[in-house]
Amino acid sequence: MLEFLSRLEILLNPTVLGQVIVNGISLSAIYILVALGFTLLFGIMRVVNFAHGEFAMLGAFAFYHLTKDLNWPWMIALPAGVIGVAAASLVLEWLVFRWFYQRMFESMIGLLGLNMMLIYGGVLLWDTHERNIPAASQEVLMVGDIIIPIDRLIVVVIALAALSAFYLFIRHTRAGLAMRAAAQDVETAETQGVDTRYIYKVAFFVAILLAALAGSLWGQIYAVSPHLGERPLMMAFIVVILGGMGSIPGAALGGALLGFTESIVGTAFGAAASAFLSFGVVIVLLVFRPWGILGTPEN
Amino acid sequence: MTQATRITWGVLAAVVLVVWPWLTDDRFLHHVGVLIMLTAIGASSLHLIIRTGHVSLCHAAFMAFGAYGSVLTVMSLGLPFPIGLLVGTGAAALLAATIGPIVLRLTGKYFVLITFLFGEVVRMAIVENVALTGGSNGIFNVPPPHPIFLDTRAYYYLALAFAVFAVGLCARILGSEFGRAMNAIRDGERLAECSGVPVIRFKVIVFIIACALAGMQGSLMAHYNKVLSPENFSGIISLNLVVMNVIGGMSSLWGALIGAVFMVMLPELLRGYVNIQHIIFGAILFATMAFMPGGIIEAARRVKALLSAKPDASAPPLARAGAAE
Amino acid sequence: MTTPLLKIEQLSKRFGGLQAVADLSYEVAEREILGIIGPNGAGKTTAVNLVSGVIEPSSGRVFLDGRDVTGQKPHVLVESGLVRTFQATTVFAGSTVRENLRRGAFRLLYPGFLATLFDTPKAREARARTVAHVDEVMHWLGLERFADHVASSLPYGIQKVLGMGIGLAARPRIILLDEPVAGLSAEETDHVRDTIRLVRERGIAVVVIDHNMRFITDLCDRVLVMAQGRELAQGAPRDVLANTAVIEAYLGKRYAKAQR
Ligand SMILES: Nc1ncnc2c1ncn2[C@@H]1O[C@H](COP(=O)(O)OP(=O)(O)O)[C@@H](O)[C@H]1O
Ligand SMILES: [Mg+2]
Repeated sequence: MLEFLSRLEILLNPTVLGQVIVNGISLSAIYILVALGFTLLFGIMRVVNFAHGEFAMLGAFAFYHLTKDLNWPWMIALPAGVIGVAAASLVLEWLVFRWFYQRMFESMIGLLGLNMMLIYGGVLLWDTHERNIPAASQEVLMVGDIIIPIDRLIVVVIALAALSAFYLFIRHTRAGLAMRAAAQDVETAETQGVDTRYIYKVAFFVAILLAALAGSLWGQIYAVSPHLGERPLMMAFIVVILGGMGSIPGAALGGALLGFTESIVGTAFGAAASAFLSFGVVIVLLVFRPWGILGTPEN
Repeated sequence: MTQATRITWGVLAAVVLVVWPWLTDDRFLHHVGVLIMLTAIGASSLHLIIRTGHVSLCHAAFMAFGAYGSVLTVMSLGLPFPIGLLVGTGAAALLAATIGPIVLRLTGKYFVLITFLFGEVVRMAIVENVALTGGSNGIFNVPPPHPIFLDTRAYYYLALAFAVFAVGLCARILGSEFGRAMNAIRDGERLAECSGVPVIRFKVIVFIIACALAGMQGSLMAHYNKVLSPENFSGIISLNLVVMNVIGGMSSLWGALIGAVFMVMLPELLRGYVNIQHIIFGAILFATMAFMPGGIIEAARRVKALLSAKPDASAPPLARAGAAE
Repeated sequence: MTTPLLKIEQLSKRFGGLQAVADLSYEVAEREILGIIGPNGAGKTTAVNLVSGVIEPSSGRVFLDGRDVTGQKPHVLVESGLVRTFQATTVFAGSTVRENLRRGAFRLLYPGFLATLFDTPKAREARARTVAHVDEVMHWLGLERFADHVASSLPYGIQKVLGMGIGLAARPRIILLDEPVAGLSAEETDHVRDTIRLVRERGIAVVVIDHNMRFITDLCDRVLVMAQGRELAQGAPRDVLANTAVIEAYLGKRYAKAQR
């Protein structure tokens, strides 16, 4: 008990607290980016994308090569890499994903297969050693006693900008409206003239875009390797189950909960403790409320 | 097939399984034989769970309980192997009895997700619990069940005996009235419940038996490999067992066995190309689920129906585990 | 007066804000056929789900043979002799008629886990008895011709009869039928009606749901009319038909006025 309290006390240190907050925000934002795409694919196409993390991995590698090998400034490399990955992934949509639309069970197992192919394809191509993306900036920002690396701040700003753009897209564009209609009920949407094949492609593109962006930011904070996708995938699961599968606000809530839990508990008690805690909470939630905090039960 | 031809085939198969190791002195082939036998235990036990409509992605976690339970009993407590095997199997069964009644209430995707997460929790617990499990380094110098079994050919017979027991048990369960109730559960859970089948209780029984068998495999595997590490029990291992069932075909125990043989042989053929092997597995998994969800068994059935060209050769509908919602 | 076979007292069920069933009470005597009618969404299926243990009531009691069985699981109620059929999925579509009935006869067939695993004499005896019983059920439901047909290949009317057969294979004392004639032709409806009469002749009580007035009044000893989860009227078919509230619920207010 005493030890527990003394560990919590660490959090009162302003430097640590600042880090915890910045970490919490950036982790939350990244998790939300990954989870949004995941939940979009589930909500609209009934596809459980077990390969979702690998698109984050591909995004990170694209960012890495563009900045490191081609020496592009990050402000160009980041959007170029992300859009490039999402566009190239449309090939995978045609080759792989379209077979699994509205086939939830088959999609889970089949896309686990794609997951393996992408990871080990990555290992063949890039080896398993970890690479670092050069920091966008070495500067730090001092707010009172709190130290904030500019680098992290950039990650937070980009992620929040992407989330806002997504929000505007889904609320205020025709495609966004059609996507929400399709997520409600595909058959009705179809009878009302929504071209589902087109909507599926748009949703897929957007989902991969978000995942690739999340991966690039993740790679910027941590390191890039073919196994990069595993943690984001796991986190996307947790976030989406927390919030409710298929629910967009649920993904946002779940991501924020998980990001801050990880940042706070991780700082005070270590990464393992925070992992056990979040897994435990999700398992308990799955048992009592499998449709998540903001989801709705089926039937 | 008549009773007589069935017995003939059975005897033939038994003779082949017992005699073949003496036709070659190649230790490598014996090794593959051991792996096939041990893997068949895991694949057929997972098949039992799949037959009740649940795809578990944490079967390796139960293997881990069996393996660590057995190895720790033997190495830390100095007890003989049979007791270790019992402790390991019992530990896996106990774990299944604890979580089974909770998770088996979940359907389809939720069950897949919760077992996936649970498998990851168990793996993390092994990595973190360094004092007991050696963490990610694992445990070395695990003794064989008996010095005799340092010989691979001898271990093959040990594995064969356990595999026959496990697969036989699974086949017997599926062929009994209990198996008929399992089929009823898979085809329509509510209808089965309202026909008097205690659905949850039966699912839990199946889960406990299957996980105990997985624990048994884990123990036998650990004492064969002589080393033990968390990576032997990662999600990929659980997934491989699912792959075996999927490519073989989920509607019959034969599917699991065919899948097990296939999945053990392929990597051994592709030795040194571990990455390519994973890529091929992935491609198989994708292609099967996209184009042939009934697996090899179903494909064979269709080919047979085409060849015999009877218009009414209607194959039974695919077992769509997890799709029952 | 003897205790009724089935007695429902003040049964209620809420789904969130929706009162699906409210204060429902009725009794069914041995060998009686009770009809429950009411428009779509009246709560008929929910009422059957509550009685058969598929869902738990918010309040109220269910007595079987004077014994309180409220909240018991469906498989336990089957053991006590209460079975039900489903409105939509009534059969195991991929299995033969014979296999369907064997599954329905589970409680007679299953001798316990170890007994069935080792196929003990007790297990074999249970199997022999069940096979005979299933043959008999097929015989009196006229399903023999289809014994080895896959259920999904049968005409819809036969599937409905098979659905009843699955329930009857368990040797029940009372069977609840949820819309056994919905979607059937007039001819098929008559066949199902005659089958239900046969069931009663065997000494089995029946609760049958439908919204086909004629079918229900032809068949039932007593009728219970439901609307919006509540009982509107209960009694002999003739009396209930004359009840103004019923006519209003069924044919609209204007028609009721014109009748007056
Ligand atoms: N599981 C459930 N959850 C929520 N509402 C339900 C559920 N089952 C039924 N209902 C609602 O209860 C009401 C009664 O339904 P039901 O019993 O199926 O009517 P009926 O069988 O008479 O047509 C309907 O409004 C239906 O939408
Ligand atoms: Mg109804």
